[in-house]
Amino acid sequence: MSPGIGAIEYVLPAGSFSLQELADAELLASSPSQLQDFGFDRCYISTEPADELALRAAAALITNADVDPESIDLLLYASALSQNHQLATEHSLSGFNYPAAKIQYELGLTRANVAGISQAGCTGLNYAIKFAADILQANDSANRILCVSADVLPKGSKREIFYNVISDGACALLVERRPQRNQIIAQRSITKGYYWDCISRKNEIMAAYFPTAKNLFQELLRAAECDPKDLRMVFPHNVSLRSWEILLDLIGVRKDQLFSENIPKKGHVIGADNWINLKDAMASGALNPGDKLLAFNFGFGANWTATLIEH
Amino acid sequence: MRQTVLITGGTGMVGRELLPKLCSDEAVENVIVLTRGTTQSVLNSKIQVLHGDVCKPDLGLEEACRQSIARHITTIIHGASETSFHLVLSEARAINVGGLENVLRFALNCPCLKAFCHLSTVYVAGKRTGVIHENDLRHDCGFVNSYEQSKYEAEELLSSQAHRLPIATVRLSTVLGRSTDGTVTKTGAIHSALRFFFHSLAPLVPGTDESPVDLIALDYAAESVALLALQQFVPGATWHICGGSDAFSLTEFLEQTLQLFYQNRPAWRKRAIEKPAIVNLKTFELFVKSIEDLGDSVLKNSVFVLKSFAPQLAYPKLISDVKTQRALSSCGVTRPRIRDFYPKVIRFLLENNWEAMPQAQASLSVRQ
Repeated sequence: MSPGIGAIEYVLPAGSFSLQELADAELLASSPSQLQDFGFDRCYISTEPADELALRAAAALITNADVDPESIDLLLYASALSQNHQLATEHSLSGFNYPAAKIQYELGLTRANVAGISQAGCTGLNYAIKFAADILQANDSANRILCVSADVLPKGSKREIFYNVISDGACALLVERRPQRNQIIAQRSITKGYYWDCISRKNEIMAAYFPTAKNLFQELLRAAECDPKDLRMVFPHNVSLRSWEILLDLIGVRKDQLFSENIPKKGHVIGADNWINLKDAMASGALNPGDKLLAFNFGFGANWTATLIEH
Repeated sequence: MRQTVLITGGTGMVGRELLPKLCSDEAVENVIVLTRGTTQSVLNSKIQVLHGDVCKPDLGLEEACRQSIARHITTIIHGASETSFHLVLSEARAINVGGLENVLRFALNCPCLKAFCHLSTVYVAGKRTGVIHENDLRHDCGFVNSYEQSKYEAEELLSSQAHRLPIATVRLSTVLGRSTDGTVTKTGAIHSALRFFFHSLAPLVPGTDESPVDLIALDYAAESVALLALQQFVPGATWHICGGSDAFSLTEFLEQTLQLFYQNRPAWRKRAIEKPAIVNLKTFELFVKSIEDLGDSVLKNSVFVLKSFAPQLAYPKLISDVKTQRALSSCGVTRPRIRDFYPKVIRFLLENNWEAMPQAQASLSVRQ
């Protein structure tokens, strides 16, 4: 049996803002109407640092899933932004103040090793899940890995990146050897270092997105012998709905297979989108045992990841 | 009989390649090149450059001059046209139909005229799909751009004059470069699209996997036109100078191009650039709209080029040249195989940084 995702919890900040409010605060580059046309409506902005959101998400998971903190073998902490990987103060040593270690201590994960995953853009949490699943399959003595991501843009940052509306937020997942649900059937990822300079290669990145995503999808589904029509749901990263319409056609997936309702409501919560969407879909009762689910994400670097799950 | 040929569009891509072929025909005494441009370095004694404009009444020529040349002309090759895919229809029509109308009027006053050869495009077939035969013209399927439509309307005009003049039509496919060494003398939309592909700026192409990509060699185009306008002229005939059954499929074209980029630029492989994805027209148009909405200049340039002609691939058609092949092969003209010369063209474009051969060098071919 393959490992899978035993539990998910997420935390969004209290402050939610409409596109017009964001425009009034000069936090958008495009007009609200254009972004609305792309499927966005509002986003969440945190006044708390990333590590606080991460801690709350992880704590909620430990409590709600009734997990013994000492049963966690490894904690993987992911964030797209380098500043979210440290609890920086003016002291030069504060660069070594790591949120992962803090979470381990606060939650009493005394047996867990900790490590961070960075430099993978919005795909950091997906890479954490991939590495966790690989570790569980390779190491018989490990059973539970806690993956946590947190992304908070610096105060005053524009809330629009590449025509997508960005939210702050955190998500925690428990990757287990024998999950009751959400078994990971297959995972694929591609990194293309040519696009490392996301400023000067902005146009090329936008162009590379579709054909690379298509190939990744097709390779994943081929490996899993799964037809796109058999997917119960696709969990997107919450980028422009327009870009999803194009991508859906490329991969032969119908629009009604896409769980898109969080794009307007929550915006693009950097690394957490796929799993927030899975959690919400489960909560809505829309999923049945055995459903095939697919999560796709893209991150600067550039990275493309896709995960096929059986609910 | 000694022939005097009037050519319009003689300084264009095909026209420039055509001139030495015409001059090398022993039956041709004079070649009059009607051009709006400045005099080029023409060193062939058979060539006479005449300043005029097909869009003007009497071709913009003085009465005396017009009468003087009209007396001697035996063949007219009308190749002047506006080949931009981006003009509004009225502008394209003014040149491609209006210009033809003026040349036809001039031709009616040429007492020795034996042949009027009109250069057209195989894409007068517009949005038709399936097999397109040489004798096909009229349809109501619509067009991808104003160039196609204006050239279609020009052919309709020609049909109406067929009883008054000895007219033949030569429809050309997309001209890529010379088959011998891959030289490109003028870049067009296809070369720009390849450049965008190389720079990872052409992510989506409309069409189907099997859509034919019909491309021809410049030298083949010129040699065929010369033959069909002179030695093999047949009044009322329509010819297709195209790849026909030799055409790439769209999938093969993209794969071949990618492999040629790898071969010619080994370091390019590190970029891991994907082949453009083949999509249906609706998805391509949604992508175009999205990019246009974004106001992003470089990708917008790519989309601007692609949208002007690539939708043709969403209307798959096999251009038949059975009749033309029969006529040309009887004269020893063989169609170069695309799989043989395409690699040379790609190498030329890469070695020349996607630029065409400078005009000064290109015009040397006209010299004796």
